[in-house]
Amino acid sequence: MRCSLFVCLIIGALFSYGAGVDPSNFKTCEQSSFCRRSRKVQSAGSKYALIRGTLNTYSDSLTADLINKENHHQFTLKLEALVGNTFRLQIDEKQPLRPRYRVEHALKGKPETTRISVEESDELTITVGTSKAVIHGDPFRIDFYEHDVHVVSVNAKNWLYFEHLRQKAQTPPEPAEGNDQAQQQQQDQQDNSEEVQPASEPIDDPGAWEENFKSHHDSKPYGPQAVALDFSFPAAEILFGIPEHADSFQLKSTSGTDPYRLYNLDVFEYVVDSKMALYGSVPVLYAHGPKRTAGVYWQNSAESWVDIYTTETNVVSSLVNFVSGSRKSTPPVAHFISESGIVDAFIMLGPQPLDAFKQYAALTGTHELPQSFALAYHQSRWNYNDERDVTSVSAKFDEFNMPMDTMWLDIEYTDGKRYFTWDKFKFPEPLTMIKNLTELGRHLVIIIDPHIKRDNAYFFHQDCTENGYYVKTREGNDYEGWCWPGSASYPDFFNPVVRDYYASQYDLSKFKTVSKDVMIWNDMNEPSVFNGPEVTAPKDLVHYGNWEHRDVHNLYGHMHLMGTFAGLKQRDPEQRPFILTRAHFAGSQRYAAIWTGDNLADWAHLQHSIKMCLTEAVAGFSFCGADVGGFFGNPDSELLERWYQTGAFLPFFRAHAHIDTKRREPWLFPERTRAVIKSALLTRYSYLPLWYTSFYELEQTGAPVIRPLLTHYPADKEAFAIDSQLLVQHRLLVRPVMQQGVSKVDVYFPAIDDKKNGDYWYDVDTFQRQERAGYESIPVTDDKIPVFQRGGSIVPKKERPRRSSKLMLNDPYTLVICLDRQGKAAGTLFLDDEKSYAYRNGESIYVNYEFANNQLTNRFITKPLYKSDAWIERIIIAGLGYVPIDATITAKGISQKLEIEQRSNGAIVVRKPAVKMNVDFALKLNAA
Amino acid sequence: MQQKFLPLLLIALLVYALTGVQGIDVPRPRGVSLVKAPLYQPQPDGKWSCIDGSRTIPFTQINDDYCDCADGSDEPGTAACPNGQFHCLNTGHQSVDIPSSQVQDGICDCCDGSDELEESQCENTCVALGAAAAIQRRNEAELHMKGAEKRQEMINRGKQLKADRSARRSELNARIKEQEALKTEKEQLKATAEALEHEAVEAFKEQQRELDADTAQAEQEPQQMRQEASLTFVRYDTNKDGFVEITELMVDMNLDRDRNGVVTVEEAKYFLDERDRMDLDAFITLAWPRIKPLKMLADGLFQPPVSTPAEERAPQQDNSKDAQQLEPEPTGEHADMDVPDEEDGEDEEQYDDEEPDVGVGEATPDVETTTAAPIYDPETQRLIEQANEARNAYEEVARHIREIEHEIKELDEQEGKDYGPNEEWSVLDGECYTFEDREYVYTLCPFDRVSQKPRNGGAETTLGRWDQWVGEGANKYTKQRYAQGAACWNGPQRSAIINIKCALEPRITSVSEPNRCEYYYEFETPAACDSDAYTASAQSQHDEL
Repeated sequence: MRCSLFVCLIIGALFSYGAGVDPSNFKTCEQSSFCRRSRKVQSAGSKYALIRGTLNTYSDSLTADLINKENHHQFTLKLEALVGNTFRLQIDEKQPLRPRYRVEHALKGKPETTRISVEESDELTITVGTSKAVIHGDPFRIDFYEHDVHVVSVNAKNWLYFEHLRQKAQTPPEPAEGNDQAQQQQQDQQDNSEEVQPASEPIDDPGAWEENFKSHHDSKPYGPQAVALDFSFPAAEILFGIPEHADSFQLKSTSGTDPYRLYNLDVFEYVVDSKMALYGSVPVLYAHGPKRTAGVYWQNSAESWVDIYTTETNVVSSLVNFVSGSRKSTPPVAHFISESGIVDAFIMLGPQPLDAFKQYAALTGTHELPQSFALAYHQSRWNYNDERDVTSVSAKFDEFNMPMDTMWLDIEYTDGKRYFTWDKFKFPEPLTMIKNLTELGRHLVIIIDPHIKRDNAYFFHQDCTENGYYVKTREGNDYEGWCWPGSASYPDFFNPVVRDYYASQYDLSKFKTVSKDVMIWNDMNEPSVFNGPEVTAPKDLVHYGNWEHRDVHNLYGHMHLMGTFAGLKQRDPEQRPFILTRAHFAGSQRYAAIWTGDNLADWAHLQHSIKMCLTEAVAGFSFCGADVGGFFGNPDSELLERWYQTGAFLPFFRAHAHIDTKRREPWLFPERTRAVIKSALLTRYSYLPLWYTSFYELEQTGAPVIRPLLTHYPADKEAFAIDSQLLVQHRLLVRPVMQQGVSKVDVYFPAIDDKKNGDYWYDVDTFQRQERAGYESIPVTDDKIPVFQRGGSIVPKKERPRRSSKLMLNDPYTLVICLDRQGKAAGTLFLDDEKSYAYRNGESIYVNYEFANNQLTNRFITKPLYKSDAWIERIIIAGLGYVPIDATITAKGISQKLEIEQRSNGAIVVRKPAVKMNVDFALKLNAA
Repeated sequence: MQQKFLPLLLIALLVYALTGVQGIDVPRPRGVSLVKAPLYQPQPDGKWSCIDGSRTIPFTQINDDYCDCADGSDEPGTAACPNGQFHCLNTGHQSVDIPSSQVQDGICDCCDGSDELEESQCENTCVALGAAAAIQRRNEAELHMKGAEKRQEMINRGKQLKADRSARRSELNARIKEQEALKTEKEQLKATAEALEHEAVEAFKEQQRELDADTAQAEQEPQQMRQEASLTFVRYDTNKDGFVEITELMVDMNLDRDRNGVVTVEEAKYFLDERDRMDLDAFITLAWPRIKPLKMLADGLFQPPVSTPAEERAPQQDNSKDAQQLEPEPTGEHADMDVPDEEDGEDEEQYDDEEPDVGVGEATPDVETTTAAPIYDPETQRLIEQANEARNAYEEVARHIREIEHEIKELDEQEGKDYGPNEEWSVLDGECYTFEDREYVYTLCPFDRVSQKPRNGGAETTLGRWDQWVGEGANKYTKQRYAQGAACWNGPQRSAIINIKCALEPRITSVSEPNRCEYYYEFETPAACDSDAYTASAQSQHDEL
C-alpha cells in the first residue's frame, strides 16, 4: 500500500505538470513541492509532543524539547514573553545537520522581554499580566488567552510540519513516467483511501531534492526543509493582513483554491481578485471579532503560502448568528507554510485592533516622519525624456496654477541603464535641471535599481566583480541574469560590506551629478530577473553567510533598501531620506514608502488601490499608494478624475504611467477634467497638516495613518469587511467614487456599539451632518467624492494654495472643529521644519486642541521649541447649533474680539484669530 | 515677550501697503494694476464692496492677509485668497498678473520683486529684462523683414507654379480629348485587324487541329500572363484599395535590386514606373514586365525539386515570418529591454545574413526558354503581325491616356493642397529636409511625408503623411500635421506635428517624441516670415504695455 502511495504521489505530480493546466508563468501550490507536502498534512495531521522533563524556565521565557512521534526527530521550542501583550514562539531542530536560517534585520531591534510566571500541572501555564499561554504536551498545542478569553491557538489542528534536514539517499527514486490515465486512477484510489503517509517516512516527493518549473531547474542541494504551522482564532470572525495581494481586505477562504502566496515577484499586468504573489511579502495576519483582535507575525523570509479557513460571513449569516446568539463551531484558521527556515512566530494579543497594530509596529517599526514634499503630489512618467521635458512639465504646473512637489525620472535617464550615471545627451546638465526644480521648492526622485549592467567599462560592475560583491551561483561564479540593461548581476546586499559600498555610492563626492535634494526610487528589487524562474532569481543561488537565496528571497529588497537608506543618511545626516520601493518585507516600512506596482488603468484597479493599501497599512506600510491613472493603458477623463480624487486620500500620491501610454499630465485634458484634477490636488494640499501630524503619530505610536473601519468600530460586524472606505486616523472617513457614471454612492457610517449608534459625521464640503449609523446614499458630482469629518475631531488644514508644499511652511492654519453629541471635539497638530531631524531634539510644536463648553483651548504635548512663522487664520466650527455674536481670544493676558462669519449648514467661521502656533490661548464663543 | 500679537503687526503692514506709492502717482492697494485702481476707493462710511458685489467689508480689511471676498478681490497684495491675482507693474518691462499662490512664497516672480516682501531681497531685473526683450524684438522684426523678401520670392514662384499647373491642366484636358479620339480610331483598327487575325488563326487551327496542346498553351500565354500578374497584384495590394502602392511593394524582398537588405522607396518606384501607385491595368502593362524576371529568379531558387514546406511559402511571406522567428515575439513590458547599440548592430547583421539570398550567379533563370510559339503559315503570320501592330498602337494610346490621367490626378491633388493664402508654401512641395540626431535621420518632405531612419542602417519608417494645417486661429500656417504613419508595436499609428518659424534658410532645428509615436519637428523657413503679421502682433503686444 505504501509503495503504491509513493507512486501515486509521483504520478500525481507528473500529472499536474504534464497536463499543463496552469498557463501562467507562476507556480501553483501543487507545482511547488514543499507547499503540496505541507498542505497534505491538513488531511491527517501530525503527531508532535513535548518531551517531559526537558522544560527550562527563565525569567522571561521557557524552553522545552519537542518530538515528532512518528520519526522521533527532536526539536527545541522556545516561548518568550514580550512587552506589549505579545509572545514569541520559536521552534528549530535540536541538532540540525546545518544551521537553519533565522530572519535578520526585519525586527527594528531586539524585542523587549517581560517577566513570566509559570505554573506546571497537566499543562504548562505561562502568565504575563492579563494574558497567558497554556501549553498542552501531547498532542502539542498552545492556547493564548487575553483576559481569560481564548483568542489564539497554535497547532490546534495538528498541522505542525517540520521537515528536518537530512542526508540525500544514495539513489533517489526515479520519477516514474506513466500514462496519465493510470495515474489519475491511482490518484483517485488514493483520495478515497483512509491510509496516509506517515510523517516518519523519508520524503519521496519527486520535488524533494530537485525541482523543475518551466525550463528552470532548482538543484535543492539541502533537500526538503519546509516548516508549517496552524493558528486558530476562536474569538475572531474575519482574518486580514498578509499583503501583498490584489484582493479584498478580508482574507477569503482558500478551500478549493490555492493558498495566498508570499513570494516577492515582478508580476506583469497583475490581475485583481487574486491570491497570487506580488512584489511584497509581509507575513503578518490579524484575526478580528467583535470583542477581541489578535495577530500573528510569521517571521520567515522564504517562499510562503498561507491557507485560510473561514466561514465567509455575510450580512445574512452574521445576522442569523446575532439573532440566534450562536457562534460558528469552527473558528477561523490560518496555516502558514514556508519552504525553509524555522518556526518564528509572534503572537500579538491585542485586545483591540489598534493595540494589535501597535504591537506589530513595536516589533518591526514604522516609517519615520517624512519630509512634507513626500506627502504632497508626485508627478512621474516612464519617462520624462530629457531636461527640457522635465523643466517644461514643471513650468506647466505653474502655468495652470496647480501644485506639484516632485518630478520623477524612470530608467531612461541613465546611460544605458547604468545606475549612478546620466544619459549625457538627454541630460547633459542634471545639476542645472535639479536646481531649476529645487528653486521652486520642488524635488526630483530618480530610479536606482539593483541590477547592475555587466559592462567591463562600468565602474560599479568593475568594483563588484573585483571584490566579489555579486550574488553567486552554486558553483561560486557571479550570477548573471537578464534585466533592463541586458546581461546583469545582482549585488549581495546581505553582505554588510556590500551595503556599505552601495551606500557610499550615494555620497555626493561619488555621485556628483545629483544634489542632496534628489531622492531615490528602488524598483525591480524582488529581484526581477527577466529570464529567471518566475521572473526572479533561482533559489539555489548563494548569499553572504552561505545562505541559499531560497532562505532569504523575500528579504532581498529589504536589504537593498537598507543600503539605500544608509547611503542617503550618510549623504546628508540632516535630511530625512525619501525612498520608494516596490519589493518589501516586514520592517521595510522603516526605510521606504511603497506603491502597488504596475497596475492597470481600469476601475477594478482603482478599487483595489484602497483595498491593497488598507491591508498594507495594518501590516506596517501606512506610506502606500497606487499609480494614479493606472500604469498600463490610457484612462479616460472620468477614470483619471476619480483616480486623482481617490489618490488624494491615500498617503502616497503619485501619478505614473507606462512608456507606451499617451501623455496624461492634467493640462492635456479638457478644461472640465483639468478643473476636477486641480481641485483634487488642492484638497490634498489643504489636508497636508493632517497627513503630516498623522505620520508623526505613526512614528510615535505605531497607529496606522489610514485605517479600516473596524479599527475604531470593532463591534460593528457590518463594517468588518468594508474596503471601499477608509479612515484617515480617526478624523476623516473617505469613500471615493470608484465606479463609472454614478451620481450617488452608498456610504457606510459605522456603529460604535451593537445598537446601531454611530458618531456624527460632517461632510467636509457642506458641513451637512450624518447622525445615523448604517448605509446612506450620498449624491456625488464630477467634483465631489464623499469625505466626512468625525464629530468630536479637530482637523488642521492649510487652505492657501502654493506651487509646492515647501512654500507652504509658514502659511497660516485653518482648524476645522466638528462637534460630537456632547458638543465637544479634540485633535492634535504637529509641526516642525518639515525636513530635518531637529524634531527629535524637541524642535517641534505638538499641540492638542480641545473644544468644550463653547471654548477652544490648546495644550502643548511637548514644549513648543520650534520657531514657526505660521499662525491660525481661521477656525471653522460645525455642529454648534447656534450662531455666536462674536468670539473672544485671550493670549498672553490680552483679549481681543473676533468676528464670526456663517457657512452652510450652520457652520461658523471665527475670523482671523491670528495667534501664532506656539502661543497658549483660549478662544470663547459669545452667545447673544 | 518676543511673541508679539500678530494683528498689530499686520495692521502696521497694511498701513504701509495702503499708503505705499508704487511708481506712478495713483495710490492704490498693493498688487492692484493702474487700470483697476478706481475699483479700490473707500465709500464715505469707510466701507468697501468686493468687486463681485458679494459682500461689503471695512476698507481697512483690504490686504489684511485674510480672505473676505469670494472673488479674492480684497486681497490683491497677499496670498490669502486662493483665486486672487497680483499685478506686477514691472516698470521697464512687461506688466503681468500672477496668481496669488505665488505672492510671498519666497520666490521672486515679478521682475520688479513686488510680489515678495523686503526680506526676500528680490532684485529688480525689469530694466535689464526689458532691454533684452527690446533687442530680441528688434532682431525678430529684422529677421522678419529680411525673411519677407525671400517669402515674396516664394510667393511669386508659388503663384507661377499655380499658373503653370493651371495651364498644364488645360493643356492636358485638350490632349486627353485628342487622345480619346485617337483611341477610338485605334480601337477600330485593332478590331478590324483582330477580326482578320482571328479568322486566319481559326483557319490555321483547323489545319493544325490534330496538333498537340502546345499550341493551345501558347494561345493562352498572354491570358496566363495576365492572370499571373493579377494574382501578384492582389497579393501586393494589402490594403485592398485597388492600387498597388510603394509601401506595399517595399515588403517584397525580391525587389531589393541592390541587395542591401531594404527595398527602398526608389527601388519600389522603379517597378511602379516612377509613380506612387498603380491600378491593375497599369500594373499588368508597366510593372509586371519589370517584376516578373525577379519573381522567376526567386522562384527558380525557391522551388528546388526537394523542398521543405517552409521554403515553399511565397517569398514575401517568408520575410515576415523569418523576422518573427529571429526576433522572439516580445512579451509584455520587458520587450522594451535595452539592447546595447553594438549588439544591436550585430543582431541586424545576422538578421541580414539570414535574409533569403537571391544572389547573382546562383540562379539559373529560364526566362528565355518559355514554350515556343507555333509556326504559322506566312499569310496568317502576316495578319497576326498586323494585329499585333494594331494592338500595340492601341495600347500605346491607352497608355498615353493613363499617363495623362495620372498627371491630371497629381495636378488636382496639388490643387487641393492648401499652400497658404499667397501660395507661399507651394515651392516646398517636392523639397525634402533632413535632421540627424544621435540615433536617427529624420526627413520632412512638406506636403508629402515625414519619416525616420536609423543612422546605423535599417528600414525607413514613415512617421506620417500630409494631413493638414493645424495652427490655431490666425496662426493656422504655423503648424502642420502628418498622420497615418506606420503603426507602432502595441500602439497607435505614428503621427507628426511640424512647428514652423521664420528664418532665412529652411532647416529642421529639432525633432522630439514627447508622446510615444507622436513626433514634433521644429522647422524654419522664410515662408513663415510674414512681416506684416509679425508687426501687427508685436504692435498689439506693445499696446498692452
